[in-house]
Amino acid sequence: MVRFLVLAWLGVLLLPAQNLALKKHRLSNGMTVIIHEDHDIPNVALYFFYKIGSRNEKPGTTGVSHFFEHMMFNGAKKYGPKQFDIVMENNGGRNNGYTTRDVTVYQDWFAKPALDLILDMEADRIRDLAFDPKLVASEREVVYSERRLSVDNSPEGSLDEQLWAAAFTAHPYNWGPIGWPSDIEGWTLTDLKEHFSLGYAPNNCVLVISGDVTETEALALARKHLEPIPRRAGPTAVRTKEPEQKGERRVVLNRPAEIPFQMIGFHVPATAHADTPVIALLTTLLTQGRSSRLEQRLVERDQIALAVQAETSEAVDPTLWTFYMQLRAGVKTEQAEQALYSEFERLVNTPVSDDELKKAKSQFLANFYRQLKTLGGKANLIGNFEIFHGGADRLNQYAARIEKVTVADLQRVAKTYLTAQNRTVATLVPTKE
Amino acid sequence: MRLTLLLLTISVSAQVKLPPYSKQVLANGATLILMPRAELPLTTVTAVFRGGAEAESVAGLASVTAELLERGTATQSAEEIALAFDSLGATLNSLAGESTLTLASEFLSRDTDRALPLLADLVQKPAFPAEEVKKVLAQFLDGAKSVKDNPQAAAGIAFRRFFYGPAHPSSRPVRGDESSLPKIDRDMIQQFQRRMLVGRNLTVIAIGNFTAADLLPKLTAAFSPLPAGEAYAPIADPGVPRSAKPRLLLIDKPDATQTFFFIGQPGIKRGHPDQVPLQLVNTLFGGRFTSMLNDELRVNTGLTYGANCQLNLNRLTGGLVISSFTKTETTERTIDLALDLLKKVNTTGVTPEALKSSKAYTKGLFPADRLETNDQLTQVLTELELYGLNRGEIDDLFSKIDAVTPQRANAIAKTYYRGDGLVFVLLGNAAKIREAVKKYAPEVMEMPIAKLGMEP
Repeated sequence: MVRFLVLAWLGVLLLPAQNLALKKHRLSNGMTVIIHEDHDIPNVALYFFYKIGSRNEKPGTTGVSHFFEHMMFNGAKKYGPKQFDIVMENNGGRNNGYTTRDVTVYQDWFAKPALDLILDMEADRIRDLAFDPKLVASEREVVYSERRLSVDNSPEGSLDEQLWAAAFTAHPYNWGPIGWPSDIEGWTLTDLKEHFSLGYAPNNCVLVISGDVTETEALALARKHLEPIPRRAGPTAVRTKEPEQKGERRVVLNRPAEIPFQMIGFHVPATAHADTPVIALLTTLLTQGRSSRLEQRLVERDQIALAVQAETSEAVDPTLWTFYMQLRAGVKTEQAEQALYSEFERLVNTPVSDDELKKAKSQFLANFYRQLKTLGGKANLIGNFEIFHGGADRLNQYAARIEKVTVADLQRVAKTYLTAQNRTVATLVPTKE
Repeated sequence: MRLTLLLLTISVSAQVKLPPYSKQVLANGATLILMPRAELPLTTVTAVFRGGAEAESVAGLASVTAELLERGTATQSAEEIALAFDSLGATLNSLAGESTLTLASEFLSRDTDRALPLLADLVQKPAFPAEEVKKVLAQFLDGAKSVKDNPQAAAGIAFRRFFYGPAHPSSRPVRGDESSLPKIDRDMIQQFQRRMLVGRNLTVIAIGNFTAADLLPKLTAAFSPLPAGEAYAPIADPGVPRSAKPRLLLIDKPDATQTFFFIGQPGIKRGHPDQVPLQLVNTLFGGRFTSMLNDELRVNTGLTYGANCQLNLNRLTGGLVISSFTKTETTERTIDLALDLLKKVNTTGVTPEALKSSKAYTKGLFPADRLETNDQLTQVLTELELYGLNRGEIDDLFSKIDAVTPQRANAIAKTYYRGDGLVFVLLGNAAKIREAVKKYAPEVMEMPIAKLGMEP
């Protein structure tokens, strides 16, 4: 498990500072390999982060990164169709993958003796992926089924899609990783091959190995399997910058549903920006735990919402800070909106008390460290810090950055981003079946 | 190709063991289980009361009671409780399951002296303020309505009701529904709490960074004041009889573009002698990515994003349940293929190679699935207590897995994976699939999704 070093009691900080031992290496072909030793259980988590996602797509091929994530399991040169999964499961392992607007991530979890074998399979598909037209056709249907599940037949999924489409007018964050339906139907083999040659360069990849390994053996195996893979160009830079939003945008979705839903998004900088820890603490203070401001106001006092959440997803480019409100049946969305805005005004006009800031810091850090309970959780956090926060080593400095946030920071950041001009409001209005 | 690759199979690690723990029984009958684990500076304390939803008179009563434990005691208001836990960065979770009601908190080990009395207060002196009762019931009611906005979850609830029938507690929606929740009042909640939340029903599980010598007196002080009460007598297992004829319920959601379906038949209860071989066979049939179901319905045909078969292992006998979804137009084809596979596993069983793979898969992932975190270990210890099992359940698991022969696996496949008396629940656009699905059962029941959860 985590090597917890009690370094110091940092003033108001309720949690002991903690260090995750990380060893970072760069292979000669440009692949970054980060190793975290953890000998608690005899297992290993391998996470490959490719820095390519739906932000690297174009109209006509939206969703191709995610489609590609699926195709990576459909056979390469040494391990043919189905073999990746069969061999992995035969050897006490399982895998998955996920695609965001910024990255495509492949996850393997397995019993430690299989490390050599799993790296051999991963190298095979990065180097020599096969493109069987028959498998392309059937996988296209699988992805469409996934879209029907997570977007078309989900009120939240379809509303989220509309929110981003309205908030981003120029930048490719306009569309989601799943892609537009007509593009899912339209991708060609050429699109796929192009995507592969751009994104799956070793120099465009961060590998995190977390678990029951030694640095020496893990690095030697990574070198053996992954270093011979030649460099490639990597994806072209995304030039488009989203122009500043100059006024509120509103989008309405009418569909059969029981409960109204509202999502309100505000443009905020990329994750690497200095304001990220402040936004994280404001999110905590507003929505984390039953004592948080929005829970108390909307769910408990006014009783107009069933649930309130907020998040900023980790992003390479300026992104959205989104507030989600699942309302009570029959509640007017205007009422919920006004209550939300009045809470934002309170943040801007009245400084938060030291106690409330202290509470938010304790909650945030406790939850931050809770992500380190599993090998997979650690691998994911390490990779995210490497890609989005300016380096994996920043993970061990994050507690100190959170600690430095002041009452004035909260007020300034709330005032800067939570404005009417900067917001996009997406509302689901239930209709009858 | 496949043969060559099988030679690559590596033998996975030796038997893993449950970490050591100690057990004490207090004068009021409460059992304390302590498992010190020094890796994290955190402690998780979970109070598990036997009973839960199976002991309630109205669906949702146990869940509402659990929720209200967080919302006021003799000395603290709901807001004060929330603030106290949040200020420590501690979690607080209370919920009811089919056979339990649990209240759990995870806090920094060094905050034990602050967190434990808070938790004890919630268990000992719940006040059920009238305003909170009203609010929670209203929230639960809207929560029950919102389930209909999630077709997969809605189909699951409808399936359990239709499949298990009224005698079996698994048929009830644990969080209540639109028909049951309005019947609950404060008196019922208080009576449920007084009857069920007593020492003789309680097991407290503490896992984390502590020494037993230090924590035991604190836990004893926290949970001793609870009255001993009467031990809940768990209901007898009603079993899951196989239906004489196939049955089918079709839930109409006219705007659905995908049909969600469940196909159930009788399974076993936790601790049944067939459990380990059945788990191994089910892994191959519908329990992992390369399983027969997922391989055919997703990988070979692209009909769905996912297909699986779930083996429900609870105190009472549960089901063996296939589930998947597909676009409206391919509903019939997908269900037909699933039924073909059911026939295939029954008649041809599994190969020795496949069985070997299932064993390696189960053993390889077991430590990460069950023994990695304090939450997982809490779950394991809860199950051992609840189902009357001992640590051999974990410590001897690998040898039980090794002992399963291909003959035994195939006998299991023949016994449990059958084509008769199946129970189907489908949720989708009825106008487009009504005719096609008639062939699965002699009688088809149909209801609009709006009526779901309003059944008496």
